[in-house]
Parts: sequence; C-alpha cells; structure tokens
Amino acid sequence: MRTEANARVRARGLLGSALAKAAAYLVMGTFTLMTVYPLFWLTMNSFKTTREFQVNMLGLPMDPTLENFRMAWEFGEFGKLFPNSFIYTIGTTALVIALSVLAGFAFAKIPRRVTKWIYGSFVVGILLTINTLMIPLFIEVTMLGIYNTRLAVLLVYVGAGLPIGIYLSTEYIRGIPTALVESARIDGAGYFTIFRRIILPMAAPVATTLAILQICSTWNEFALINILVSRTELKSLPLGIFKFSSSLSTDYGKQFAALVIGMAPMLLFYVAFRKQITRGVAAGAVKG
Amino acid sequence: MTHAKRIDREAGRAYWMMILPAFLIYLAVMAFPIVLSFILSVSNYSGGKMFGENAEKWSLVGFAQYLRVVKDPWFWNALKNNLYIVGISVFGQLPLGFVFAYIIYRRLVKAPGFWQGVLYVPNIISIIVVGLLWQSIFSPNGPIAQVVNDLARGEFQGKLSGLMDGVGHLDLSDGALSRILDLGGQAARDMFTDPVPELRDLLSSYGAEEGAMVANDLTNLLVNRWTPEFLNVKEVAMLPILFVILWMYTGMYLILFLANMQKIDAQIIESARIDGANEMQVMRHIIIPALTGTIVNSAILAISGSLSSFALIFALTGGGPGRITEILSIYMYRSAMSGSRDYPLANAIALIMVVISILLIVLTKAIEKRWGGKEE
Repeated sequence: MRTEANARVRARGLLGSALAKAAAYLVMGTFTLMTVYPLFWLTMNSFKTTREFQVNMLGLPMDPTLENFRMAWEFGEFGKLFPNSFIYTIGTTALVIALSVLAGFAFAKIPRRVTKWIYGSFVVGILLTINTLMIPLFIEVTMLGIYNTRLAVLLVYVGAGLPIGIYLSTEYIRGIPTALVESARIDGAGYFTIFRRIILPMAAPVATTLAILQICSTWNEFALINILVSRTELKSLPLGIFKFSSSLSTDYGKQFAALVIGMAPMLLFYVAFRKQITRGVAAGAVKG
Repeated sequence: MTHAKRIDREAGRAYWMMILPAFLIYLAVMAFPIVLSFILSVSNYSGGKMFGENAEKWSLVGFAQYLRVVKDPWFWNALKNNLYIVGISVFGQLPLGFVFAYIIYRRLVKAPGFWQGVLYVPNIISIIVVGLLWQSIFSPNGPIAQVVNDLARGEFQGKLSGLMDGVGHLDLSDGALSRILDLGGQAARDMFTDPVPELRDLLSSYGAEEGAMVANDLTNLLVNRWTPEFLNVKEVAMLPILFVILWMYTGMYLILFLANMQKIDAQIIESARIDGANEMQVMRHIIIPALTGTIVNSAILAISGSLSSFALIFALTGGGPGRITEILSIYMYRSAMSGSRDYPLANAIALIMVVISILLIVLTKAIEKRWGGKEE
C-alpha cells in the first residue's frame, strides 16, 4: 500500500518535472529564437542586392554578393571610423583604469577625512547619468573651444567612466590587507612605491573588469559623441552608421551591410571574452 | 613629532596627487555642467560667446523656464514615455530575466552557458545598429508586412480559383464578377467607378487560354495589401519601441539575477527539497527572499537607464511621429539642437532630470537602510 502510494507520488513528480523541463525548453527556445533570428536575418540580407531583398525578404540569398559591403564601406567612410573608435575606446579604457586604480588606492589606504566627501561624490555619480547633461556639456565644450576635437571626446568619456571605475577599484583595494601597506610604510616605502610594487600587481582582476565594462560602453557610445563631434574625421563607428538611417532608408542592401560591419567587432569581442564580460556586467551593475 | 608630521605631509601629498587627476576631470565633466545648466536655465543665453570681447549680451532672468517646461504638454508626454520605459523594465524585463535565470539556475535546461550567452547578445551590439535593424523590420514594406501579405495573397488566390473553377471561360456572369470583387472588399471596388462592367472589360482583354495569368493578375490587382505603420501611428508608436527595449535588455537582468542566484548556498535548497519542499516553495521561501536586494537594485537601474536612454529612440523614430515618442533626453536635445536653439529651456530640462536622479539616489539610500547593508 505505502510503496504503491510512494510510487504514485514519484511518478507524479517525474511527470511534473518532465513537464517543467518541456516548458523550460519551450520558453528558452522561443526567446532565444526571437533574439537570434533578427540578427541572422540582418546578416543574411546584407548579402542580397536591394532588388532581391524587396522580393525575397525571408529566404536565403539566391546570388550572394559582397557588393553591399564594398559600397557601404566607401559611403560610410569606415576606413576613418574604425581608427577613431579604436582611439576612443583604448584611450578611454586605459585612462579610466589608470586614474581609477590610483585614486582607488588613495581612497582605500591613505586615511584622510576628506575621502568621505570626495569618494562619496564619485559614488553619487554612478546614478547621475551623464546623458542628462549632454546639452550643458555641448555648451561647455564649445566655450572651451574644444568642440570637434578628440580631446573633448576622451575627456567626457573618461569623466563618464570614472564613477563606476573608482567605486569598483576602491572597494576592491579595500579588500587588500592593510597590513601589507603598513609594513611597507614601516620599511620606509613611499605611497607611490607601494602602489607600484604591491597594489598594481594585485589589482589585475579589478582592472580586467573595468576594461571589459569600459570597452563595451565606449565602443557603442552614441548620445555623447553625437553632440561633441560633427566632422567625419573624428566620428566613431555608431555615429558613422547613423548616417545610413535617413539618407539611405530605401537602399536596404547597403544599410544592412553597414549594420553588419557595425556589429561584427563587438560580436567577435563577445565570443572571445564572453565569461569575463558576463562577470564584469554582474559586478558593474551596482547602485552605489 | 616633526617626523610624524613630515610623514603625514608626505601622505597628504601622495593622496592629492593620486586623486586629483580623476577628481578634476570628474568636476569638469559632471559637476561643472550641472552648475552651468542651472545658471543657463535661469538666464536668457542662447548661444555665441559667453564672456570676453564681442560676447553676446545675456543676463539672468529668473525661473520662467521652469514654468514653461511645466506648462508644456510635450514635457509631460516625454515624462510619460520615460515612465513607460521604466514600466517595461520593471514589469517586463525583470520578471522575464528572473524566469530565465531561474530556469538556468535550477538546471531545467541543459547547456546553461549557451542560453545565457545567446540571450545577452543584443546588449553587446551598438544601440544604433539595433535601432536601425528594427526600423527596417517594422517598416511598412518590411518583412512583417511581407509575411502577412504573402499569406493573404495565397488565401486570395485560393478563393479566386474556387470562384473561377468550373466556369472554364472568362465570360463571367455579373454575380460571379461581383463575388470576385467581394474578395477584395471595399478597397477593390473603390478602384473602379463602375466595378462590374469595368472588370468584365478588363477580363475580356485576356485570351481564353490565359486563365492562370488572369488569376495571378487579378490577385495582384485586387488583394488588399497591408502596409503596417508600426512606428507611425500616434496611439501605438511607443509599443514597438518598448518591445525593442525588452528585446535588447532582458539579457542583462538575466545575468544579474543568475549571478546573484549562484551566490545562494546550494545546500539550503537541497535540504529544503529533501524535506519535501516543492519547486514553487523553494522559489518563494528561499530564492526570492535572497534576491530582494537584487530586485530593488534592478528596479533602480531601470529608472536610471530610462533617464539615460537616448540613442535607441533617436535611431528608431527620432521622437516621431510628430513628437509623440520623445523621451526627456530627446525633448531636451530637440529644444537645444534643432531650429530655435532654446538653451534656457534645454538646460531647465537637464536640471529637472538631474533632480530626478538625485531623488533616486536618496531613495536608494533609504532602501539600503531599510534592507540593511549592501547587496549587489
């Protein structure tokens, strides 16, 4: 009697879990398909001529061509956009990491009463989204005479990246035992020496997180550079791709090729560093 | 004593040298614009040189701009759209992200890394690419329209051949012609001034053996083509935008929830299961309580994300049709950058957004106190 009841319960449990699994696959499958298909569709259509696209939007390209890419590359002046994007991304990332780890060390290990206020102001900045300041920034940059310069872009990008950078590095360096710093002090080492010899080598993990966060956000940034720069020579990839929206809205082939060129670098980056990116995002989503 | 003082001074110098570069840039890029936007919002400055020789004349005129903003219906429209974005995040992305994370965490599906990896992909792509991609998908001549029109065409052709079958020739009766026209509805009739005779005239121009061609041409002529204006109908233009936002950012919440679920001690769940708790009970009594901080944190991220969003709507609709899909940032951008160069108004909007952010920060601190301690 009891074993029979047990078996029934177990059977129901098995059935329930099979159903739950089927439902789980259905849910995940649907949303994964919804995520992937538009991107696949875009890529596939970038190999069709605009004429073919208009009659065959859903099928595979009948006569794949690279012509769209050639024309998009030329029209979009991607040869100029790519170097700019690299300059902005690498420059911002390097500066944010260097300044954040340096200041983070000071905040974490050099006791000063003023830290509470200055560090606090950075933490507040995490939620103070800089996009809300794009108009005053535009006016400031114009006033300073640095509109349409790489300097302005780098300055604004670094300023925008510092709050989260400083928050993460300060919290990280706080976790390094203070005894290490103190014993070096007793040995007569200056703070800059301690920074170089002890802190910097230990800060590699937080520097990696910052690099990941900063590369993703800088490479894709649009709202700010849109008000800082108008010359093609200074434009980044997203700004250049935006050109394909209005002037070319009917030349689908070229537009799709431009979008594929635009998303390819980040997709490759993601494929290469997926684990680090995922960890970085989870660590970076702090409210301060 | 002097020794200690010297050491302290050395420490102080090192401290300032380490923080000043960062702090000065931060002041220039975050603090100064806030002050500037306040000054400009109570002035009548609208471009040109501010100081020095040949400077434009401008003066402080008071808080009139704020009154203008509050009285402007487009401000409230933009604010409402910002709230819609918060809404889709809190009631769409958060629960979906939670469910996905839960499914992966409890191993209801195999290959956890695969699902997580794929669902995060839209986050990694430039917002401009995403905006333009969906713009072409939603376009009146885009793939959605084509799929629906192909289906409608097939159905029409089926019905049409049903009507023409058995007649065998093209000399159809008035009744048959009328039924053919009925397939296309009122729109088909509107193409003619006198539908039935004109259609007969048209058909008489075909040879008797051209039946297939007639069917094809009639379909092309009479079938109702659907040209959906997803992004151009005032009443619903926000819906596709909200959909794209959902599509793009749900994966981020999935990652947040999953990362925090993985911090929960697996043994607690195991022993609860052994004690007979079912899946729902585990979720209600173990997982959700452990994630309260994450849920609150995500909601706050959603609000600040809504305030900072700009590029997606800029690329998808540019705030149109009319100004119906503007959010605060686009409302501000448009005030300053298009036509009138209304700097005072734009800066008043900027400052209002800053104040909302500050309220948010205060709220965060209050919540932090309420739940005690920091959680990621």
